[in-house]
Amino acid sequence: MNLLEVIADGFADVRTHAGRTALQTLGVVLGVASVVGTMGLMAGERQQSLRYYTESGGVLKVMVWPKTVENVRSSAREMASRGLTLDDVEAVRASIPGFDLVEPKIGRTLLVRSARASKSYYITGVAPAYADLHELQVERGRFVSQDDVATAGTVCVLGADRAREFFGSEDPVGQNLRLSDHLFRVAGVLRYREFYWNRSDSYNALGWMNEVIVVPVTTMQVRVVGAGSRRIDEIGLRLASVKTHDASVPALQRLLTNRHRADDFQVYDRQDRIQQMNQQGKVYDFTFLACGIISLVVGGIVVANIMLASFTERMREVGVRKALGAKGWHVFVQFLVESAIVTGLGGAVGLGVGVGFVHGIAYLLDQTAVLTPAMIAAAGLCAGSVSVIFGLYPAVKAARLDPVVALRYE
Amino acid sequence: MSEMLIELGGIWKTYDTGEVAVDALRGIDLVVERGEYVAIMGPSGSGKSTLMHILGCLDSPTKGSYRLDGEEVGHRSAGRLAVVRNRFIGFVFQNYNLLPRASLLRNVELPLLYGGLERERRRIRAQQMLDQVGLGDRGKSRPNQLSGGQRQRAAIARALVTEPALLLADEPTGNLDQATGGEVMDIFDALNGCGQTVIVVTHDPQVAAHAHRIVRIVDGKIAHDQETRAA
Repeated sequence: MNLLEVIADGFADVRTHAGRTALQTLGVVLGVASVVGTMGLMAGERQQSLRYYTESGGVLKVMVWPKTVENVRSSAREMASRGLTLDDVEAVRASIPGFDLVEPKIGRTLLVRSARASKSYYITGVAPAYADLHELQVERGRFVSQDDVATAGTVCVLGADRAREFFGSEDPVGQNLRLSDHLFRVAGVLRYREFYWNRSDSYNALGWMNEVIVVPVTTMQVRVVGAGSRRIDEIGLRLASVKTHDASVPALQRLLTNRHRADDFQVYDRQDRIQQMNQQGKVYDFTFLACGIISLVVGGIVVANIMLASFTERMREVGVRKALGAKGWHVFVQFLVESAIVTGLGGAVGLGVGVGFVHGIAYLLDQTAVLTPAMIAAAGLCAGSVSVIFGLYPAVKAARLDPVVALRYE
Repeated sequence: MSEMLIELGGIWKTYDTGEVAVDALRGIDLVVERGEYVAIMGPSGSGKSTLMHILGCLDSPTKGSYRLDGEEVGHRSAGRLAVVRNRFIGFVFQNYNLLPRASLLRNVELPLLYGGLERERRRIRAQQMLDQVGLGDRGKSRPNQLSGGQRQRAAIARALVTEPALLLADEPTGNLDQATGGEVMDIFDALNGCGQTVIVVTHDPQVAAHAHRIVRIVDGKIAHDQETRAA
């Protein structure tokens, strides 16, 4: 008698115990569903965060902002500090390796006028690298160029919302825009950007990119602030690679502290944020996964329990089969086929329920659902091992049963 | 092919119950020829069930030799005993022992499945057997849809489907009323009439009366062995 026939017989046997098989399957379904569900939700949460960081300039972005010293206990030195200056930028460029971009930003609120509108807005004076740093994308025309910075050219680049506000449906590129008393030529318009954390969220996390008005940093310094001023409002830096982070960022902090002799700046560092996020994510992942695995084990115990309960009921049957000539392995395979069916069916249905669960929760909570093949494989593996482990014991026990004992069993 | 189907020589069966060793069989010598119709009788606790288990290769003797169809089978492994049961022995039990959730046809087919017969031939052969016991149209029924007599007839069909050398029945009428029990015994008589070797284990003298030879077991030994009529 070949293996296929024995397996077919096992299938026929399971069909006659549909109710019992369904119960066992339910155990595996719940286990697999909870593993898939929790993993999917956790991964979705994480992926959304990573997407935001990538879309807004990646994980290599480091910002330095001046901090207003309002503390009454602030020292004279702190009061005397001149804040961030162009000299800081030069010093960082000269002495701290590991950053491939170090750019100053100077901003002022100015009255902006066109034929269509007139309103005060914060104008950002930057270098060309600013676009790379923040992932600004040019829709039409061009961004501020190195040439613009060298010549302190009177050109500007508009965010999508500002372009519409000041020029309506006309193409703003090449047109004039008055900033305070100066006439600027519009060199380019940025692409419209959006990112919502939830689908029902009304806050566009990338909305500021649509609302910027960008000019060359030198133009801002010479024509607006006054050529003598060295003060700047922000230093934007980009790490050359993730590896340089641990050396470069503390070095930056030390350098600025030494130069200012005051705590009048703050460093915003995405690596830290992401590491923190990952750390938290790990804790959540572990907790949720542990819950999932516990339910899987419970499912396995359900399988084993029902198998053992039905085992006594089936002892006579095993005895009869053996009297008719069934060998140990026939009985073993028959029992194992049942486990395999329970696993396969339970795993598949559990996967379906889990995926549905993830999407349902994601829909209700406006989260993003993510399911990777690795997760599906992991859930399948869990279901398989649980069912084999818990199904093997009754199968071995049945196979070794003495036919006389089994037949006599009432 | 040997004339002697069964040759038991000095069979002992000892059950080790932990503190006391119980001798269920104490030196059984028994020879059964092909075509015989034997009733094994004895009070409960006499060891007749143990003897039946050994005759049926469900159990191995502690001591002694058992030659079935000329081959020593007394001390084979569990797996090889399963093959012997499948090829040489057909069982009929008091409580039928049909698989409750399988159809009659499937029940009758089962020994052929373990014997390795292919599907088509299994079906045909099992159907033939059901036809022979008058249940040809009940192949799809479950055992619990049948009367006791019908169930026992199905069990007989299952026992004979592999054309075994020995039909071994354990109180085959124990769960049946007088009339139905009589019908079952008539089947055994007819089978024996066609040359089938039949051994019936019973304590019912009326059942034993159908056999041509009565072997009485008392305290694990053969107390009496008697031909009741010419075979």
